[in-house]
Order: sequence, then structure tokens, then C-alpha cells
Amino acid sequence: MALIQNTKCECGHQNPVGTVLCEACGKPLDEELAASDSVLEMRYDGMARRSQKPHPNLIDRIWNFFSSVRVAVWLILITLVAAALGTIFPQESAFVNLTDPAAYYRENYGTAGAIYHALGLSRTFESWWFITLLVMIGASLVICSLDRVLPLYRALTRQQVRKHLQFITRQQVVYVGPIQGDAEAWTARFAEILRRKRYKVRTDGNALLAEKNRFSRWGPYVIHIGLIVFLLAVLMRGVIPGWYMDEYVGLDDGEIEQIPRTGYFVKSLGFRIDFYSDDELPEHLKGQLRVKQFTTKAVLYECVAYCDDATREPELKEVAAHDIRVNSPLSYRGLRLYQYDFAEAPRLISVRPTLVDKRTGQSYGPFELPMRHPPLTYSVGPFTLELRDSFPEFGLDENGEPVTLSREPNAPAFVFVIKGPGLPEEGVPYLYFPREADRQRFGQDRINGAAAEMFDIRVMSMEDVEFSTYTSYLNVRVDRGMPYVWTGAAITMIGLVMGIYWNHRRIWLRIDDGVLSLGAHTNKNRFGLRAEVAAALAKAGIEVDAKMLDNRRKES
Amino acid sequence: MRRHKSVQYLILAVMLLIGGYAVGRSFASSGDVLRPGDKPPSFRLADLQGEAHTLEEYAGNPLILNFWGTFCPPCREEMPALQQQYEAWKDKGLQVVGINLSEDRHRVENFIRRIGVSFPILLDTNRRTERAFGLREYPTTYFIDANGVIRQIVSGPLTIEEIDERVKSLLGSA
Repeated sequence: MALIQNTKCECGHQNPVGTVLCEACGKPLDEELAASDSVLEMRYDGMARRSQKPHPNLIDRIWNFFSSVRVAVWLILITLVAAALGTIFPQESAFVNLTDPAAYYRENYGTAGAIYHALGLSRTFESWWFITLLVMIGASLVICSLDRVLPLYRALTRQQVRKHLQFITRQQVVYVGPIQGDAEAWTARFAEILRRKRYKVRTDGNALLAEKNRFSRWGPYVIHIGLIVFLLAVLMRGVIPGWYMDEYVGLDDGEIEQIPRTGYFVKSLGFRIDFYSDDELPEHLKGQLRVKQFTTKAVLYECVAYCDDATREPELKEVAAHDIRVNSPLSYRGLRLYQYDFAEAPRLISVRPTLVDKRTGQSYGPFELPMRHPPLTYSVGPFTLELRDSFPEFGLDENGEPVTLSREPNAPAFVFVIKGPGLPEEGVPYLYFPREADRQRFGQDRINGAAAEMFDIRVMSMEDVEFSTYTSYLNVRVDRGMPYVWTGAAITMIGLVMGIYWNHRRIWLRIDDGVLSLGAHTNKNRFGLRAEVAAALAKAGIEVDAKMLDNRRKES
Repeated sequence: MRRHKSVQYLILAVMLLIGGYAVGRSFASSGDVLRPGDKPPSFRLADLQGEAHTLEEYAGNPLILNFWGTFCPPCREEMPALQQQYEAWKDKGLQVVGINLSEDRHRVENFIRRIGVSFPILLDTNRRTERAFGLREYPTTYFIDANGVIRQIVSGPLTIEEIDERVKSLLGSA
């Protein structure tokens, strides 16, 4: 193509630089192209794209870069390869508690794992370069579309009825032949035939333009809009605070926990595993334990007062309750709590022990003793028990001093001071292990010495013990981007259907000195178009085999 | 054509803005673990007397913020060293605050009394503050300068010498 191109057509229309076919009459502008008789390339109706302009400046160059389909294909390929690499080993974000990722990858996947982590591929999908690729694809989508859709729109809305003869006879579907009678009357009759085939027809004397399903041309651009909405939704999810959350909460039965970084608290009323009974199982599985259902009875609370007041207990209001099962989350205002995992971790929740005065044989109580946050004083009969210390997981340090080994009530112990009738003013210290196993292991009676002669604190029956067998792990998710992701997907689908199930068909004709020249173009299904044109011509009295209309047969 | 040009610029600018923000976030959101140079998240916690204290109260002077629990042996070990250094430097403006890892108050009181700790102890509840700081190990000690910026983060027990060295650099930089 010459550097300085004469863009003025012989019909008098001034075309922008880069135009292939005259915007008005459709005549090929390039001299070489005009001299040949090949079938015309109708892409974008021969319009110049936005980016095709002389003397591009920096902004134009950026625009041109993103407007290139070749660049778009490369971007997509690179992103595909990067995404594929990101799936070789699990991503760091897939782990709930990964304190030392480097060590984890080295130990589990050897040298390859170490390299994988060092290259940052273990965080592929959060990495700046991956996000940059996505942003560039987004930019390419927007600019590629705008660069083509605007000229195309202009071309299709400003179509001239009378086209250059070369434009008509170099279409994919062509018929040239003599007609009888008045040219204008013939054109009007043919227009009526095409209208019945649901064409929109415009005539200009003895020239005609018939068109149908133009909207199908917008299909690809609707797809792009859908993809842009999709991409934006995914980007926003990571950007707008509160749009996305993925947290885990572990709950013993009866335990209440705050959902991290929210004003919500969740309480488990109990976790249950149901197994299939033998008559529900096939022969070869009978007698085996097969899990049927995991259920966490959960209650969701919202903090309504003293939420950030460290000196007081927060005031909670119940907002939702649900039996959380796999695939049946508790759902409240975009917050979803899924059953994620469980662990067998038998723990006491509370006991109701009885105080036995061994001197009189009298027993008092029972009294309620919770394992978490126990009260400091207890009135039991004539006695008062003051809680001096408590150990959620009792143990001894290197100096033999009693300590707690963790914050979890795995082996709880309580130091009471018993005060009351017949006891010294300062009371009698008494160490109490609610669990019988701990009582034996640590030697409760030996530690208590003389106090063990006077008192016993023990649980009388299993009814006075409340315990949790399992810790249930819930996955707390917020994903406010999802409606937009679905909207984007739906728009994409609509665009796909528009572009695939309909095709844009156009028929041009003109009659010069009793000779009919007809050309037709479609973006898909030329066979259908040829059959349609042949049928219309037959109705107008011109019998022609549909195959004979194929312009390309001349080339081969 | 002029109108087209400004639309073109506008589209590029919007894309640069959204894209830049998204890419920028990918640098920032590499986990919620604090690093030197960060400002610690604010908190409001009760002391052993039940009075509320906020991080802002400690602004203006260097601060050692120590997360500890009675269930963690290295926390118990380093407590006397912290107390010793607190006494040595408090006249120079050093503040030491211990944040207990959501244990019951009486547990904390018993331990503090036995060791003889005189610097303020605050009580976390429901592991909230611990999570806000992104704690991974116990104990974790933050050395915060007078401007409220974290200078150093140490996981694991500290000896008197180790604290001394860091306090000197904190006071020197103030």
C-alpha cells in the first residue's frame, strides 16, 4: 500500500486512510485490488479501523498495540501457559495454615518444588505479573472491540443502496443475467419477494439493498462486553474490601467464636456424623462405617453493642440458625458458612460436680463448672468455692511447677479454695481434675494431701458431664462478585447465541440496460444464502441452480 | 475527530486507573502478616484492672509490644528479661506492653504476680488482636519507634542482651 494513498473514490466520497472498499459505493480503492476480479474481503465492510491512521503519536501507538488481534492472541496464550504452570503444584492460598511455604514446597516436591516456590509460581494467581496479564487482556478486549465495532456500526447504518458494479459482481454469491420489462417494476416486484423472506428492503430506482439479521453482527462484541464484566467482577473481588472473604473457624460443640474481621459470631450447638445403616448399604459394604451426613447445628449472631469494647462482653443478637450440611451452608446477607472438615477431639464443655464432705458424709451440689471462662466463686451448700487458678491443659514445667500446655481444655484442672464451717479462715486449697483419667494420671488425692481427707469433688453420673466429641471446621465465605460474574457469563452466552444462530445476509442488485447484476454476502452459511437467493430469483421467473451462484467456483 | 481523541484518552485513562489499582493491590495483599516499616493495627484492650487502652495512647515514645501466653514456655522464659529491661529503660521513655493471648484473667494475674511484672498487661479476647497482627508464632515481640512504625519483629524468646541492643537502637533513632 502506498504511503500517501488517494482515498477519494470516483463516486466522489472522501474515505479515511486505510479504507479498503469505498464507504459509499463499495468500489475497491486499492488499484491492485480493483484490477483483479477475486472475491472481495468483506471484513468490517472494508472500513478503516480506528487504529489505522497516519502519524500515530505515543497514545495512538499504545492504542494500536492493544487493538491488534495478534497481540490479543499472544496475551491469551501467555496467560494460558501461566495459568497451566500455576496448577503444577498446589497454590499457597489452598492451604489454611502454611507457616513456612518455602520449606513446605521443598519437603513435599523436592528441588522442583523449591524452584517452583522461588519463581513465585506458588502464588501465580495473586502475582503482579498475572494480574497485569489479565488487565492487558481486558484492555485488549475493550480496545479491539471499540476499534472495530464503531467503524462497522457506521458502515452498516449508512449503507448506500446503489453500489459499484465491481462491488456487486465480486461478492461470494453472484448472478448476472438479462431481464425482461421495466427495470424499476422488476426491482419493486423482487423487493416484495424478499420482504416476504423477512428481509428489510430499500430501493433506489433500479437498485436494491435487502438485509436481514444485522444484529447477529454485534454478537462477538456482546461476548466481549460479557467477558469485560466478568473480568472486572473478578478484579473487583480482590480490590473492594468486604467483597471477598475465605476464612475457617473451628468449633467444639457449644463453643462460640467470632468470625475473623466481621461483627459476626458463630456458635455450634453440636456436630454430628450419621452413618449408613446396614440395610442401606450394598452387600459388600455391610458392617462397615460409611458416612452418610455431616451436620453442624449452627447459630449465627451479630454483635449489636460493645463490639470493640475490650472491657465488656459483646452484646450479641441471633440473626440466623441452620443445620449446616455439606452443600447446604448457613447463608446470611452474602455470608456463607460451609461444612468444611471435622476432627475427633473429645473435650469437656462443662461438668456439674458434687462436693462431698468426707467428715460428715454429706454431699452438696451439684454446681455448674464450665471449662471455658469459669466464674470465680461458687456457693455449694454451706461452703464457698473460690477459683484461684485454672489450667485448660494441665501439665508441669521443667521446674515441676503447674502450667497449662495450651489454651484448649484438653486436660482441665481447677484450683479452688474451699471456705466454710469447720475450716480455717483462709480456706483449704483443693486441686480438681474433672476428667477421671487426669485425676489418676496427676494423682489428685496425693497433691491435695490433707484436703483430700476432708473433701472430694466429683461428678456423680455421666448426666452431669457435657462434652464435645468433635471439632467442626466451617469455611466462611463472602463472594459479592458472584452476581456480576454470572451476569458477565450470561451476557457472553447471549452474544454467543446472537452470533452463532443467526447470520447477517445482504443482497444488492442493480439493473443496467436490461442486465441484472445481483450480489449477496453473509458472514456464515453461504449455502443457505445461495438457496435463498435462487428461490427468490425463481419466484421472479429466473430459474438458476443455487450452486451456479457461487462466485468462488470461477477461481478454482 | 477531536471528540474521538478525548474519548480515546478517557478510555485509556480509566483502564490505566483500574489496571494500575488491581496490579498495585497484588503487591500489597501478600498476606496480612506485619513487616518492619508497617504501622501496627490499632487495638482497644482491657488491662487487668478492666480499664481500656488503645495503641494510640503509647504514641510518642518507643514501645515494645510483646504477645505472650502462660501456655507457651518461651513466653514464660522471656518475661523476667522484659521486666528487667523495662525497669532499666523506663526512665528514658521506653514503654513495654504485654498482650496476653486470650486467656482467662485469673490465669494471667497469677502468672504476673508470681514473676513480678510491673509493665502494663492487656488482655486480648477471642484472639482478635492476635489475628489482626497476623501472629504465626508465640511469643512475638514488636519493637515500635516513637513515630509508631515497627522497626523489628522478633519471634521466639529474647534475652536481656537482645532486648538491650534493640532498645538502644530504638531510643537512638527517636
